[in-house]
Parts: sequence; C-alpha cells; structure tokens
Amino acid sequence: MIELQSLTFRYAGADRDALHDITLTIPDGAFLGIIGPAGAGKSTLAHAIGGIVPHAVHGDFYGAVRVNGLDTADTRLTDLSRIVGTVFQDVESQIISSVVEDELLYGLENFGVPREEIEERMTFALEEVGIAALRNRTIASLSGGQRQKVAIASLVALRPKILVLDEPTGELDPSSSRQIFSLLRTLNREYGMTVVVVEQKIMLLCEFAERLAVLNEGRIERLGEVREVLGDIAGLEAIGVNCPRSARFSSLLGEKTGQPVPVCVNADEAVEAARRVIG
Amino acid sequence: MNGLFQYVPGNSPLHRMNPVTKILLTLSVCIAAFLTDNLFVLLFLLVFDLMIGVAAGAARKAFSIFKGLFKVSLFLFVLQVLFIRRGNRLFWIVTDEGLLTAAAVVLRLLVVCLPLALILTVTQVSDIANAMVQVLHVPYAYAFTLTTAIRFIPQFMEEMGGIMESQTARGVEFDSKNVFKKLGMLFPLCAPLLISSVRRTGATATAAEVRGFNLRTRESGYKRYGFGLVDLAAVLISAALIVGAVLIP
Repeated sequence: MIELQSLTFRYAGADRDALHDITLTIPDGAFLGIIGPAGAGKSTLAHAIGGIVPHAVHGDFYGAVRVNGLDTADTRLTDLSRIVGTVFQDVESQIISSVVEDELLYGLENFGVPREEIEERMTFALEEVGIAALRNRTIASLSGGQRQKVAIASLVALRPKILVLDEPTGELDPSSSRQIFSLLRTLNREYGMTVVVVEQKIMLLCEFAERLAVLNEGRIERLGEVREVLGDIAGLEAIGVNCPRSARFSSLLGEKTGQPVPVCVNADEAVEAARRVIG
Repeated sequence: MNGLFQYVPGNSPLHRMNPVTKILLTLSVCIAAFLTDNLFVLLFLLVFDLMIGVAAGAARKAFSIFKGLFKVSLFLFVLQVLFIRRGNRLFWIVTDEGLLTAAAVVLRLLVVCLPLALILTVTQVSDIANAMVQVLHVPYAYAFTLTTAIRFIPQFMEEMGGIMESQTARGVEFDSKNVFKKLGMLFPLCAPLLISSVRRTGATATAAEVRGFNLRTRESGYKRYGFGLVDLAAVLISAALIVGAVLIP
C-alpha cells in the first residue's frame, strides 16, 4: 500500500511547490493512472513514491510517504527499490549497460535473484515487452523506442510489488504503446503488482487503468474511477486535460437529449449509447 | 574511434577465452616488447599480434588498425632517425644506431598498441569488468567506472552530433573547410555538452542505485568466467613470450 500524507515538495531554488499538500492512498493491486498538463507535478509524484524524491533530488520535503509501511524518507533508496520499481521518463540516463542482456541482468544480479530464476525472468520480460530479438544487441544500436522497451523490460524482470512508470510510452508507436499497457494489465491482474503510471495518452489510461488521478499545479484535482473522473468533461478541459472523444460524445449526447447517458470510454460504448438514445 | 573499440561478436577461441586470460596475454605481449631489444623478437611479436587478429576472425580490423598505426609510426621513425646522432654515420646525418633504435621504438609501439585495441574487439567491456571483479577481486565501483565510461562514448558522440545539428540549423557553418574556424566553433559546444553530461551522470547514478548498485558483491555476477584448455594454452604462450624475450639476446 502506498500512502501519501499531506505531501508537499518544492525543488531547491524553485519559487513554488511542485507538489502541494497531496494526500492519496493507493491500495495493493491497484492500477492508477496519473494525468495532467505539463508542469503539474506528475513526475515529481512518481519520484516521491519511488523515494527518488527526497533521496536523490534536493528540495524541501514536508509530509510523509509510506510504502508498505516504510517511511520513504527514513528508508534507504536501495531498500525501497526492492519494493518499488521506477521507470524514468528519461530513458537514456536510466540505461546503465552497453548490451541489452546486461541491462536486464544488472538489477537481477544486484538484488540477488536466485540463478535458476534469472533466465526465466529475463525471457519473460524480453518476450512480453516484445524485444526478444534484441537480446544481444548493443544499446547504442537501438532506436529511442527500443531503448524505452529495454528500460521497461529491465524493471519488469525485477518484479517489484509496485511498479511506477513515468510516461513509459513517450517514444513508442501506438501499437507498441498498447502492448506495454496490456503487459501492465497482465502484471497487475496475474501477479498482483500495483501499477502507477504517468501518461499523456488518455485513451490508453482510460482503457487500462482502473482509477485516475488528475494533477494540476501540484494538487490533485480529481481522483476516482475512470468513468467517474471522465464524468466532468468541462472541468477536465478547463484544467487542460484532453478527454477521449467517446467521453466527449457521451457527455454531449446526454446534454442535447436530456437523457442520462453513461460515460463512454471507447468507440464501441459510444455506438451502443447512441443506439440506445435513438431507440 | 567509435568503431575502433567496438566489440565484434564471434565464437573464436579468443572470444571464448576468459577475459582475465586475455588481459594476461595482452600484458605479456606488452611486457615482452619492453624487455627485448632484439628487432627479430619484436618483429615476431608483431606477426604474433596480427595472427591473433586473424585467429579472432577480426583480420580486417587488425590490419586496418595496423595501417592506421603505421602512418604514425612512419612519422615517428623519421623523427627518431633525424634526432639520434650516436653510432656510425651511414649517409648524411643518418647513423646505424639511429636506424636501429628508431626501428625498435616503432616496432614496440605497434606491438603494444595492437593487442590493446584487439582485446576490445573480442571481449565485451562488461565481461572484462565482471571478470575483474570476480576473479581479480577488483572493487566493483572501479569496474563500474570503466563500463560506464565506455558505455557513454557513443552517447556522448550522439549528443555532440545533436548539438552540432541544431547549431547548423541555426546558421553555424560547421561544414566550413577552415580548420581554425571550425575549432573556434567547436569550443562553445563544450558548455552545453558538459552540463548535459553532468546532469545525465546524476540521473544514471540514481538509476544504478535504485537497481541495487550498493548491494552488488563479488558473487553477484550471473555469468561465470571459467578457465578452460584455451586459457591454459594462452597462459603457456604468455609465459613463453616473456621467457623468450628475456633469453634471446
């Protein structure tokens, strides 16, 4: 379980809080999507869960973050990383090794995963992320998207209880993005992994995440089930969050016809809703 | 430079050899080259280097390194011949001792440089580092420094290329033929390059830490580096090279 209690963080030298008085509980096994305009504090929030804020980032830290009961401020980053795996937004600086295989081995070796488990975990991560063919390639020879997949695979192989991803599909094409999100769903449902993902692609979040948190100027503006959050389209657009067209459609449909129309998160649901209204 | 130190995959005995043995063999060739004054021994060592290149399936690379070094060597040879005046004069200011010393210096340079470049074509840097930690008990932090440095060479090049492209797009003439003008233009690149590298170093350190950098011990490595018959042969060859260099006058 992740508990944030009145968390406020201000980067050293900044003139406003990156996160302001955030209180949030993420239960075990949750799949939470975090969305918000640029500069809303999404990455800072992701880093706070992984303990990178305040351990590796300087600034004023108030409040408390507890992960599985451990206070992140009092726990070594190394010990926290056994529970929380973080995929950084900047892929380049996350990759340590020169070869894909070594990159996956790095964490596995360090955390003392038994030898007989290592091969199986590596194969699983490589295959699920869709880069089995790249295993022996050098990092320098990979494209940006391929590197991003390597970074994700290296964390997936570690199988942390909590996986935090900061814009994991930033450099990926639509089909690879979907692949990553369906992998996250598998990890979430079958392995009970808690998944927290910061993402700009709202369509993906709406389809795969169970809950959404909308961040703006360091505060949580909305928090709830995906449909619940999408119920207030006007409010979201005012913040600067682009809503899926299906949700905009269903809201408009309700408005124009005066009938109650459920929030639609994909095209099929929108078609169904339209059919029902037309009768 | 990028290509020079790049690993070339293969399955030759040299590829399969324990990285530590490869380091030993490399060092032995260097030591032998420094111990001997005999030109024939040096010549033999040079041929030995090239043969290793052939055995590693990297013949073309070995010869291209050799060719590159040869130009430098030629320059060095002429310089030595002109500077050394001891011995019997053969013609003009050239003496026999000058020629012999120059030849020895140049041969030694070739003999020493070749295997140092070759070892990186047949060994992954990570394997060298891991084997050093596992077998030679080198502290992991030092090995990590080595691998990270090598890992960031292509990264650095990429970034440099990116900055140059963006400057070219804004009218800086990097394609100028004037070397001094070009040098002057490269200078302002240092600051952005330095800043981005320092920032990146910090981020990479964090990335290493969150994946258990501090927990790594000598036993952590997944790959094991055993010693086989190839290694035994290489150790014997190494010993023979050094003994030969000492015994042959």
